This record gives sequence, structure tokens and C-alpha cells, in this order.
Amino acid sequence: MGSQRYLLRKVLHALLTLLFVLFANFVLFRILPSDPVQLLARSQHLSAEDVAEQISSLGLDKPIPEQFVVYIRQTLTGDLGVSLRSGVAVTELIGERVGPTILLVGVATILSTLFGLWIGIRGGWRRGSAFDTSSLYSSLVLYSMPEGWLGMILLLFFAGVLGLFPAGGYSSSQTITGFAHVVDVANHMFLPCLTLTLGYIGEYAIVMRSSLIEVMNEDFVMTARAKGVRDVMVRRRHAVPNALLPTLTLVFLSFGFVLGGAIIVETVFSWPGLGQRTVTAIGQRDYPFIQGAFLLLSASVIVFNLIADILYGYLDPRVRES
Amino acid sequence: MRRTRRSIAIAVVLGVVTGLVMTGTAFAQDATDGADAPTVFTIGVDSDITGLSPFVLCCGADYEYLELVYDLGIGFNPDDLSPAPGIVTSWEPNEDKMEWTLKVRQDATFNDGEPVTVEDVAFTFSFVADYGLPFYKDYFPFSPTFEVVDDETLLWKSTEPTFAPEVPPYMPILPEHIWSQFATGDDPKEARRAVKDFANDPPVGSGPFELTEYARGQFLRFTYREGHWLGTPAAIDEIVIRIYDNQEAMATALRAGEIDFAESMSPNQFNTVKDDPNITGHVASAGCWGNIAYNFGGQGPDSSNHPAIQDRDVRLAIAHAVDRQVIVDRVYQGTAAVGWSILDPAKNSYYYKDIPAELQYPYDPAEANRILDEAGYLDTDDDGVREMPDGSDPLDFEFMTITDVDGSVDTGRLFQSFLQEIGIKVTFKTVDQAKANDLWFSGDWDVYVWDWCPDPDPDFMLSVFTTDQCLSWSDGCYSNPEYDELYEAQRQATDREARREIVYEMQDMIAEELPVMVLNYWSDLQAYRSDRWDPAGFSTSPNTELGLLLFGYGTVRKYLDIVPIGDSSGTATSQGLPAWVWIAVVGGVAVIAGGVMFARRGRDTDENVA
Repeated sequence: MGSQRYLLRKVLHALLTLLFVLFANFVLFRILPSDPVQLLARSQHLSAEDVAEQISSLGLDKPIPEQFVVYIRQTLTGDLGVSLRSGVAVTELIGERVGPTILLVGVATILSTLFGLWIGIRGGWRRGSAFDTSSLYSSLVLYSMPEGWLGMILLLFFAGVLGLFPAGGYSSSQTITGFAHVVDVANHMFLPCLTLTLGYIGEYAIVMRSSLIEVMNEDFVMTARAKGVRDVMVRRRHAVPNALLPTLTLVFLSFGFVLGGAIIVETVFSWPGLGQRTVTAIGQRDYPFIQGAFLLLSASVIVFNLIADILYGYLDPRVRES
Repeated sequence: MRRTRRSIAIAVVLGVVTGLVMTGTAFAQDATDGADAPTVFTIGVDSDITGLSPFVLCCGADYEYLELVYDLGIGFNPDDLSPAPGIVTSWEPNEDKMEWTLKVRQDATFNDGEPVTVEDVAFTFSFVADYGLPFYKDYFPFSPTFEVVDDETLLWKSTEPTFAPEVPPYMPILPEHIWSQFATGDDPKEARRAVKDFANDPPVGSGPFELTEYARGQFLRFTYREGHWLGTPAAIDEIVIRIYDNQEAMATALRAGEIDFAESMSPNQFNTVKDDPNITGHVASAGCWGNIAYNFGGQGPDSSNHPAIQDRDVRLAIAHAVDRQVIVDRVYQGTAAVGWSILDPAKNSYYYKDIPAELQYPYDPAEANRILDEAGYLDTDDDGVREMPDGSDPLDFEFMTITDVDGSVDTGRLFQSFLQEIGIKVTFKTVDQAKANDLWFSGDWDVYVWDWCPDPDPDFMLSVFTTDQCLSWSDGCYSNPEYDELYEAQRQATDREARREIVYEMQDMIAEELPVMVLNYWSDLQAYRSDRWDPAGFSTSPNTELGLLLFGYGTVRKYLDIVPIGDSSGTATSQGLPAWVWIAVVGGVAVIAGGVMFARRGRDTDENVA
């Protein structure tokens, strides 16, 4: 009963947040100072009459409440409008970017979680050991390293000097299919994925390490040791599961942001992801696209937060009951 | 027990890895068996095309895409950029130049198999003219009509004498059977809206190449269309344009041999590759010039400009205070050329005029100070900044620099120090191009650094400085009735030589009046792999030292001449590890991880005490 109510409350919260995002997304783009029509006017040589025509075709001459109703109706039916620049539907533009972004950032997040947690656990458990000291310092260095810079160095070395990997892009050609395509994409993905993984790893390692150290001082760990449980088992069965909780929150928050892409790394490696495309759209004041991308990003953050909440409640009954 | 498990695990790992390596090797061999592979010429660019529709042109590779996939009605002669036969093979005016007879070629087809007919040409021209479609409408002045006489003849009827067909109109010929769907209603607005929202995918054109693959944001692949009237390429079967989001990656790709040609490199990156023995660099004129523009007021809702700008003496003093060579050397690292005329010496070669020495205003801060002193702009309160002659406002200009215009910000900084020497203060407003457009539109600025890229025909560039262009293309609403008259006169001149005389006069007038101050002509920095492609296969358009190898007017036919060196296929290779390495690594990792877990699980059950 208690857990059902907890679930219901969390879902309700998530829905309310989503509604707020929908609303903010509408208001935000109408109070922004820059006028996309003027930008088009300059680059496409439009007269004052053409500008008025553009405004009416975007529905911006209608009263605000009416615009809002239209916006909600279109968003709910999956119509995010048409890109101001290329005349292509925003859903199509976003759709083709979602795959590469999830692949790159998703794989990097998984890899960095695995390695980061492993490093954090090993280091935290043998605090002060050579492994701990060296991994802590490297984690700090990696954590504070600008991703763009790291990416550029890797690009110049692996693609430029060694010539091992391509200098950018997602694939060589669409005509390559099947297994050869997988290898082609893997080659293109190696460097950006390595950059991101190195960039994320430090954060996970540090958080995991400190939360494990905290747990190690708890009474139940001492009790387990007093019982004569082998060190490895104390770690695996008692300390780590408890120390995982705060790290888990971090992991799920990061997954929420996967869809936002990795703007800088995507730009360094010309990876056709959502983040890179959003930056281009912002430069062009392509509002329909930006609006769609923001909505998607917010929704994914909300969904992953909800999952984290639910999982948290499941893993730690105290959360559910409070 | 443990020992047995471990032995089993090791045996499994070894077995799987061996199997994977063998399969992988087979794949790798597969990949190299491609003797009949097409010859591909791979080009790197630094931004994607705007879209596939000819009505969303903007910049960068847009024009190259357009000219590969579409034929222009009348094209450009790559030697001097004069009009050359395209789909229209000849154009003859009648006596009063109000009626032109156009002959249409009979051997062209669209890539969907339909022939290109005189109707398609008539449709394209009248579609654009009647519905006022963006980009192209100005090429069809004086409300023309187009009348099909027979299968190969078209009459271009103008309401006034015109040389418009000879400009020539930069107009791709559209297939009527695709675009006529937008030319049905009587409401041009409705048509324009529908055209704007049309993605044009896949594009149907009659150009020498067909777009066979387009991965947005990644690459475009063009395949030669057998039997195109332009001729058969000496070697190239396919052109791939790869998009790089940053210049470093593009230069790296060129050095590593992933691409054969890099278009529009930054001076920095160009300087790093040009000395590579395998690479040949080419400095071409980009056909653009950087300039300082002044706001004369009168435009926009928040129009606010400094009163001193109206005074030619102030503009003249600024011209004397600026060392253009220093800007070229420091901002463009010597890759641009100092300039004075609003026309481009390479692209507008026929109409370009060397501005006389007395209008070049050499760098001379003392002269600049003298001019300002004499005009009464004195520093009355001794703060290092001059005031207006009546002692009111100080000469403090709001100076807009634009982050995404090459060199704008750095030029602005140099400007600040130059103007400081003559007692003029500069307050920066550094913005991106979109914001700059907003400010420009609202009229809230004094001076900015921007650029212009004129057409081969000077008409458009000249029109920018006419009174009619205020709030449209004019930088700062400069207005000079004398100039406006000259503009109309050159427009109606029907004799090329006579027109040139008027255009000369107009260039001098702008250099003298300084509504903008031309600073430099930019370069388009191109580089290619000369170890794989024969330098003899490259030539420039226009046929001068500063012409472009590719990505220029009339350069599409240059692809036909490009040939690889020796028997190498010339094709750029994509880098990457072969399949078997990936299989071995991924397989190995998976198997080892599996083995470790398997062994550990066994250990846990053996010794579980918790």
C-alpha cells in the first residue's frame, strides 16, 4: 500500500513537472529578444510585406492564448513544426539525430559508470594504497580536464599522427551495410567515445569512493567484520550495496542528459548528434527546432529522474516510507 | 573443482578468440576485394548545406550542391565568368533590347528520366518572376513574360530595355512536373509559403551529377550522370562532400588522406598544411570583401546613430587613421589583400576598377588629426577623446563586431587602437550574426565590421548603396541622389562598354564618399592532395592566379578534368581499424569478463560464508 502511494506520488510529480516544462517552453520562446523573421529577412532579401507574411505563416500574428492552444494541440499530436531554415519537419530532424547521440553518449555513460564505480570501490576500500592515490589523482585530473581540449588532443594524435581512426563523422557511407557498417561506425565512434568516457569516469570514481569510505565507518560493517566475514564478502555484500545509493542517483541523472548530447565532443568529432545540431539551430535562431529539442531533453530528464526515484524507493525502503 | 572451472574457462576463451580472428580475417579480405570500385573525389567542408530546396540557399556548399545537381539556365564561362551556354544555348536581343530570343538545348534530361524542354525553362523563369520567389526574383526585372515559340525557342519579353539575360540570372532550371504544384493559385504569398516548406527530397535536376546519398550533417555523395551534355569526366565517378564541424578536424583529415580536397580553410589551418609535401595549397579570391560600415540613421525603430558619422570629414579622417596592411597581416595572416573598391577584382574582373591613388587615403594619422582639427572636432575637456564642434557629444562610437564573421572581432580590436590615435573612442558591442541582424534591423548601432560577397555581375552590389535599399540591403541607409541616378543609368545601359564606364564612376564615388570603407579582399584557402591527384588536372575559374579551383562560378565543369596520378585510383581511404581487430578486442573482452565472472561465481559458492 505504502509503496503504491509512493509510486503514484512520484508519477504525479513527474507529470506536473512535464506540464510546467510545456508551459515554460512556450513562454520562453516568445519573450526571447531575437526575431527569427528579421534574420531571414536579411539573408533572404525580404521586403516588409514578406516579413509580415512570414510572421503570419508562423502563426505569430494571432493572440497569445490562441497560440498557446495551437501549440499544446500540435505538441500533443507530435507535430513540432517545420525548421525555419531547411523546410524539413522538426520531428524528422530530431529523429535522425537521436540514434547517434544515444549510441555515443549512452555507450560512454555505461563504460564510464562501469570503470568509474570499479575504480571508486577498489580505491575506497584500500584507502591510501598506491592504487587509491594514483586513481584519485588521475580521476581529479580527468574530471577537471576540458572535454574539448582532451578531444582535440586525441584527434590530433590518433587521427592525425597515427592515422588509426577517422577525423570525424558517423560513418563513411550509407551504402555499407551489415557487419561492415557496424565496424565503420565503431571506428568513427572510438575517439569521441574515449573522450567522453575519460571525461565522465573521474566523477563516478570520486563519488563512489567517498560514499564507500563513509559506509565503511558504519556499525553494520564493523558487525560483519566482527562476525568473521571475509573482507571481500564484507565489501561485496554489505558495504558496496549501501554505498551505491548516492552514486545511482548520479548515474540516472546522467542518463537523463544523454539525449542532450555532448555538445563540445560532438562538435570536435563532427558527430551528427542532437547537441551539435542544437547549437547550429541556436546560431540560426531556428526556434521550432530549439523548442523541440528542449522539450525532448526536459522530458528525458524528467523520465530518468522518475526511474531513479522509483528505483531508490525499491532499493532503500526508508525512502519509500518517509 | 576450481582448477577444472578455470581450465574450462581458458579453453573457451582460446577457442572463441581463434574463431573470431578467423572470421574477422575473412571479413577483412572481403573488404579489400573491390577492384571495380568507383573513383571517388572526397571534399571536406566546414558546414552542411542548408537544405535540398533551391529556395533555401544560404552559404558554404549550398551553391556547389546546386550546380552539381541542377543545370543553370545560362551558366558561367569558367575563363572570365561571362555568360556561357547552360540549358539555354543562345540569347539574342532585338533592337530595343526589350525582347530576347532564347534557344533551349534538346539533349538534356532530368535525373528522373524526363527530358528538359523549353516549357521547363519558361516555367522556371515565370514561376520565379510571377510569384516573387526569394533569391532569384531580382534576376528577372521589369515584370517579364516568357513565351514559348517552338520546341527550342523562347521569347523573354521585358516591359523596359534590359540586359538581364546577360547578367546572367543565377537560375537553376526546375522540372515543371515537380514544381508546377506550387504555381496553381493566384496568391503569390500562398505559393511562397508552400515553396518554403517544401523539402525537395530527393532533388530532381538535370545537372551533371545526381545526389545519390545524403546523410544530413555528415556527407553528400554525388554520382556522375552518364551522357550529360557537359561531357564525360576524365576520371571521377563520384564526388563526396564530407562535413566537418571544426577546421582542425578538416585539416587533420586532409593530412591523413581521408579527404582529397579541403574547401575554405582557416588561415591557421591552411598554414599548417600548405608545406606538407603531399599537399598543394591554393590561395584564391573568395570574392568577398571586409568593410567598415557606418549608420547614417533613418532605419529601424530604435534608430540611433552618432551625428559625427554624417560628416564626410570624420569618415575621411578614419580612412587615413587605419593601416589596412596591418589588418591583413595580423587578422588574416597575410592571406587577404588590401582593397578599396566595392567590386571584387577577381569575380567582377570586367567591371572592377583600380581606385585612383588620391582616393586610396594612405595610412597617415597626422593627416587624420589635421582633418579633424580643421573640421572643429577638438578635445575640449582634455580626456583624450574629441568632442563635436559645438562641444557637445564626445566622439564615442558604438562599434559592432560579429563573432561568426571571419576576422570581424580582431579587426575591431585593431580599429580601436587606430582610432585612439586620433582621439576617437570605440565602445564595443560583440555579438553573433543573428544578434547583429537584430541590432542592424533596429538601427541601434554606429559602426560595424562585416563583409559583402558580390555576384559576378555588379548590379546587385551597386544597388546596395542606393536610397531604395534603405531597410532592405543597405548597410546604414546611405543616400545620394547622384549615385542613384548613375545606378539607374547603368541598369538601362544596353552596351557593355558604356555600362562599364558608369560602373567605374560609381566605384570612385563610393571610394570618395566612404559610406562604407572597404578594407580587404578575402581569400578562399583551398588545398588538395597532390600526391594522389595530378596538379595538371586542376585549373582556376576565373582563369587568373586568384581564381577558384572548385566551389566557384562555373567550376562544376572543372570536376571533369581532375585525374589521379599514375594507376592509383586516387580515392581517399577512410581510416579505421579493420574488422578483425574489433572482433578480437570486443570478443576477447567479453569472453575474459565472462570467464572471470564464471570463475568468481564458482569461488563464491565454494566459500560462501556470509
